Amino acid sequence: MSSSRRSKKKKEEVPKPRLKEKVTEVLDLPKEVILDIPKLTMIGNNNLVIENYKGVIEYDTEKIRLNTGIGIIKIGGKGLVIKEITSEDIMVHGKIENLEFCT
Amino acid sequence: MILKLWNYFRGYVIITIEGYFLEKFINICIHRQIYLWDIKRHGSRKMTLKISIKGFKLLRPIALKTKCRVRISKRVGLPFIKSRYKKRKTFLVGAVACVVLFYVMTSFIWSIEVVGNEKINTDFILDKLSESGIKQGVLKYKIDTKKVVNDLMLKIDKLGWVGVSIKGTKLKVQVDERIMPPKLVEKDKPCDIVAKKDGIIKSVISKAGFDLVKPGDTVVEGQILVTGKVPGKDETSGVTLLHAISTVKARTWYEGVSPVITKPTVKERTGNKISKYALVLFGKRINLSWGNVSYSNYDKIEVKKVLSFGEDLVLPFEFIDDIYYETQEVVRELSDKEAEDIAAGKAYDIAKENIPEEAEIIKKDVKILNNDDGTKSVKVIIECIEDIGISKEIGGDN
Repeated sequence: MSSSRRSKKKKEEVPKPRLKEKVTEVLDLPKEVILDIPKLTMIGNNNLVIENYKGVIEYDTEKIRLNTGIGIIKIGGKGLVIKEITSEDIMVHGKIENLEFCT
Repeated sequence: MILKLWNYFRGYVIITIEGYFLEKFINICIHRQIYLWDIKRHGSRKMTLKISIKGFKLLRPIALKTKCRVRISKRVGLPFIKSRYKKRKTFLVGAVACVVLFYVMTSFIWSIEVVGNEKINTDFILDKLSESGIKQGVLKYKIDTKKVVNDLMLKIDKLGWVGVSIKGTKLKVQVDERIMPPKLVEKDKPCDIVAKKDGIIKSVISKAGFDLVKPGDTVVEGQILVTGKVPGKDETSGVTLLHAISTVKARTWYEGVSPVITKPTVKERTGNKISKYALVLFGKRINLSWGNVSYSNYDKIEVKKVLSFGEDLVLPFEFIDDIYYETQEVVRELSDKEAEDIAAGKAYDIAKENIPEEAEIIKKDVKILNNDDGTKSVKVIIECIEDIGISKEIGGDN
């Protein structure tokens, strides 16, 4: 009984994200869309596509900082070029040396 | 690759942006649904990017807001090329007209070539072609080559084979003349072998029939050489009728006579000439030179130049240059030997005209005759060996 009660309490504490997560898991929905999480696709070290980003904070040939749902993503490298950019996704070309998640 | 092509068709501009808030600029662009690509940073306050024409038009307020300076460095794509040629409308019209005209001009037949005929006149074939609707200026898509071939075969029975092909603006008619088979008497009908010309028999080789002549006999035209009427072994048995088969070779003679002319008159060019030019457009002749030719005697030489692309794409434009050479008659003095040689040559040609192809020439004789009136002439006699036998039906008229 007590355990069930405790679980109820837990549910009340953080009900919304858990439910959302469960629903997406059950229905097999793309997490990045529902949960506002970026999806990173990398081909080798010179092609990176980030879907579901929020905006460009900083852009330079050696450093790109992007705002996303889970915080700031920092891309470091050389000769970085934004090959394509739309409101949903950004494609970065160039020699990517490091990726950093600043949450 | 396809995306690049698509962008090229839609047209885009490469712009350089200068300012301090370049990231802000990008973010605003994205927010307003302006598509950007190939963003490259040059230094801290400069970048180049590609943007569609539509997007570029919306850029002005953003540039003002972020205090950036926007400069176009290159215009790429079809719309810009189009607008460039919009100003030169006549050029465009001319280019289109040229293509259309070329297409129209090359969809007609402008020249007809007849190949392979030896005995049949080319004009005769062309005449028959035009009867079935094939002449200069006919739309080439309308021509059914199979029908033309059939028509031609039916109309000219001397043809053994006809091929019609259309190449470019040229219609090529290839013909093969049929060698007419000699009129033969049917195998099962009795016949004789008769002489088709005079001669002296050299050999008689009979497969069937009864020989009436032997080598050394002189025969005249129409004489029966080998008969199909074979008498029985004795008087009482009747006559058997056969289809005579025999090769009768005989010596025959052909002769030609030509007078010896020691002082012939020869046409000679004086060196004066007049050129007359004419254009032929679509089969119609337009003279470019006027006036008559003042020479009383002249040779006319026609030089024709046809406008064509390569060998097959002939266009209906011809340029004709008629050259008139003034001539005068000059009496030339020839030695007896020269005059006789020329006369002998002519006589030989006359004699040879009648010799059938399959005859074998074995002897040539040249004789110089002194005529009664003091002139001379040359007589050439050619001796041949040939098959003189021809089948003739017994009881028939021919």
